[in-house]
Parts: sequence; structure tokens; C-alpha cells
Amino acid sequence: MNYTKQIQDIAAKLFTEGKIDVFVGYRMNGFDDNQVPVLITDPQDVSKLVFTDKSVFNLVNYLKTDHTRRKRVGLVVKGCDSRSLNLMLTESQVKRENLYVVGICCEGIVDDSGHKMQNCVECVVPDAVVSDELLGTPSGQKPYMVNVDIAALAAKPLTERTAYFEEVFENCIRCNACRHSCPLCYCAKCCIDQETATLYNGANTTSAAFHALMTWSLHLAGRCVDCRNCEKACPSHLPLHLLHKQNESVIYENFQEHLAGVIPEDRGAFYKYSLKDPDDFIM
Amino acid sequence: METEVKDQLVSIEKPELVAPPNWEPVIMGILCNWCSYAGSDLTGTSRIQYPPNIRIIRVPCSSRVDPWFLIKSLQTTADGVLVSGCHPGDCHYITGNYYARRRFLVTKKLLNFVGFHENRIQFSWVSAAEGPKFAKVVNKVTEEIKKLGPLHLYKKENFEKK
Ligand code: SF4
Ligand code: SF4
Ligand code: SF4
Repeated sequence: MNYTKQIQDIAAKLFTEGKIDVFVGYRMNGFDDNQVPVLITDPQDVSKLVFTDKSVFNLVNYLKTDHTRRKRVGLVVKGCDSRSLNLMLTESQVKRENLYVVGICCEGIVDDSGHKMQNCVECVVPDAVVSDELLGTPSGQKPYMVNVDIAALAAKPLTERTAYFEEVFENCIRCNACRHSCPLCYCAKCCIDQETATLYNGANTTSAAFHALMTWSLHLAGRCVDCRNCEKACPSHLPLHLLHKQNESVIYENFQEHLAGVIPEDRGAFYKYSLKDPDDFIM
Repeated sequence: METEVKDQLVSIEKPELVAPPNWEPVIMGILCNWCSYAGSDLTGTSRIQYPPNIRIIRVPCSSRVDPWFLIKSLQTTADGVLVSGCHPGDCHYITGNYYARRRFLVTKKLLNFVGFHENRIQFSWVSAAEGPKFAKVVNKVTEEIKKLGPLHLYKKENFEKK
């Protein structure tokens, strides 16, 4: 998967036609073969743009910054990214007419060791669902798979799960990088901060981390698109996808919902109900 | 001479922690104003006994119950929570409990996934006419949570510097 040439051409064309003020893409980081996001405002810089299977980050996150807000933006989205863009559009965070979206029919991105990322192996919607221009050949929707880690953990006895997650929450340093890297966490003031300040006096304890991460994952239940931007940003390398995938699988299996952000104008599972929702867990 | 050897009550999530003698669970009861709270009122006025372990909070509707309430209760004093609202179709706000039902399931499964016993998070539908049912529910919940032992997970005070 290499769309470097096409994306450079598209960006150059958009700048000459005066359709955009800024283009959000990827560039090489300059010291190894990994990439970093780049915001290009000068048409001369478009040669910096690249796109390969190492383009791991979700660029929709950069629509939250002051560099892109109220500007005309061109950006590159993969399948999962486009779903988060769809949700941001539905939630009125960005205007569609201000965007020029280059959609990718994604074949999966790779991690540092060269393996395909697990979320790409399990990806249901690899083709961009929002785009002005689609690169690659669409491969259609794939069947839903329950995440392997979830299935493995759910099969374990309760005490083992408890011990496992206690270690996870203990290692969180409350840096909030997960929240800042998530395109769907755009609240100007996060309610978790207020609660941490009052309930925990701002302290970083395992208890505060549990409280914050649980609340965070429930705010993203039915909205998380499994782009794993949060996990890539986490300095403690916590398996944050476990919480999100757990919620996603419960929603998918019990409410017969499609995945988040696939359908335009759909706000997610918690914004609607069905009379057929399971009731057997309630006395 | 016979001595009765009683099994020590341990916390189900952390079997190495033993409950103090005569330990009684604290259960957070979050009831909706229009059905369950009125139902619990009827239990009292009908002189039906139910365990005093439950501490009741009144909310306008079961869909007012943010999953956050459950997380915070479990992190402070509660050993379990009971959320109760109107029966499906009876909601004072027409559809509130349908929305709530989805959140409850996801919250319950998530808390169970990260290591809480599933019986610590309980839900019920109790209407304003179901005084005896409310007593039954509280009895059942208290009994079930008593068996699980005290909750020691992520308690706020366990991590605070003295
Ligand atoms: S929570 Fe993580 S995986 Fe989910 S949408 Fe946000 S950044 Fe992506
Ligand atoms: S965790 Fe919740 S309140 Fe905080 S930024 Fe994300 S969505 Fe907003
Ligand atoms: S990025 Fe990782 S360490 Fe930082 S707050 Fe999120 S989970 Fe905790």
C-alpha cells in the first residue's frame, strides 16, 4: 500500500486551485522509517507527504486543533479514521463543506515489528466511508470478529481478571494522552478532570486512574471506532483497546447495532433504543 | 463437645482478604422518583421488613443514572449497587428507561470484565404498586452481596496517603 505519489498530486492540485488552506497528512519522522502527522500550509512542502502502511495515526484528531478549526482542510483518512470523521460530522464538530477528504481503501497498517496491527486484522470497514476522492480498490465490508484479547480474558476466572486489570490501572500515570489523541474526545472541559480535582484532590492513584479510564471508555461506548490512536499515544503502553472492544462487542451482540460511524447521521448505540433490547439481566 | 466451624467470609475478587466479624454490606440503591421510590415508600407504609443495608438515593428517572454513579459508589463506600426504575413502557418520561437499559447492560458487562463480580451490580424494575416486590428484591440483592464479601477494588481511601 503506497499512495505517496497520488496524495502529493492531490495536495498540490488543491493548493493551486485554492481549495484548501491546510493539508493534513503524514511525513517521515526523519530518523527512522516511522511517520509523524504533518500540517502543510505552504504548497512547496507537499513533497514531504507520504502514505504507506506505516501511516498509523488517525489524522481526524487534528481537526480539533486551532490550526485547522474554521479553515478549509484537506486530509487523508483510512477506513477507521473515516468512521471517526463521520461521527465528528454527525456531532457537528466539523463542517463537511470545509473539508476535502482523500479516502483510502486500507489494506492494513503495520506496527514497529512489521506485523499487521490486530485492529486491522479484525477490521470490518477497511474502505473510507467519507471521501471526496477514493484511492485504491474497495474490498467491501468484512464479517465482525470478537477481539482475540477480549475472548482470552473473558475465559479466565474472575480473580485473574481482577489482578490483571489492577496492574493495568496501576500503571496509568494520568497523563491524559489517550484523551487528547482520541478524535472523539473533543470536549473543551473534560468532566473527568473536574471529578479528579474534587474526588481525588488531583492525586494520581490507581483508584483515580480506574475512575478516569472507566468513565472515559463509557463516554466512548458506541462511538469508539477502534483506530487505536489512544493506545499508540499511551506512554505506559496500556491495553486500552480492551475496554473499548469489550463495550463494542456487548453493543454489537446485544443490540444488533452496526459499528460506530459507519452510517452517516447515526449517533451511536446510546442515542436510540429498541423494544427488543435484552431485559433478562434486570429483576 | 461440638464446635461449629464457620467458613470465613472472603472477598470474592481477592480471596486473600477476609471480612471482619459481623461484617454487613453497604448497598447503594438508586431509585427513580416515579415508580421505584414510590414502591419503596409503599413497602415502608405497608410495614414490610427489608434489610437496612440499602442506602437509597432518589433520581428523577432511571435514565438519569449515569454509569458514573455506579463507578463512584463502588469506589467509595458501597459493596454493591442496585438501580431500579419503572417497568418498560411505564416510564414517566415515556422512553427514559429504554435508553437506560442499554447503558446498564454495557456498564454491568464492563465492570464484570475488569474484575467485579456480576452480582455486585444489580438492576430491577419496580412499579409504585409493587411494595412486596421491592422488599423481595432488596432481600435477594443483600443476600447475594453478603455472599461475595466486602469489596476491596479501587477503593478511594485505600490509595490515599494518611
Ligand atoms: S478511544 Fe482510542 S480507538 Fe477509540 S476512537 Fe478514540 S482513539 Fe480511536
Ligand atoms: S472523557 Fe468524556 S468528558 Fe472527557 S473529553 Fe472524552 S468525551 Fe469529553
Ligand atoms: S495515555 Fe496511558 S498513561 Fe496516559 S492517561 Fe491514558 S491510559 Fe493513562
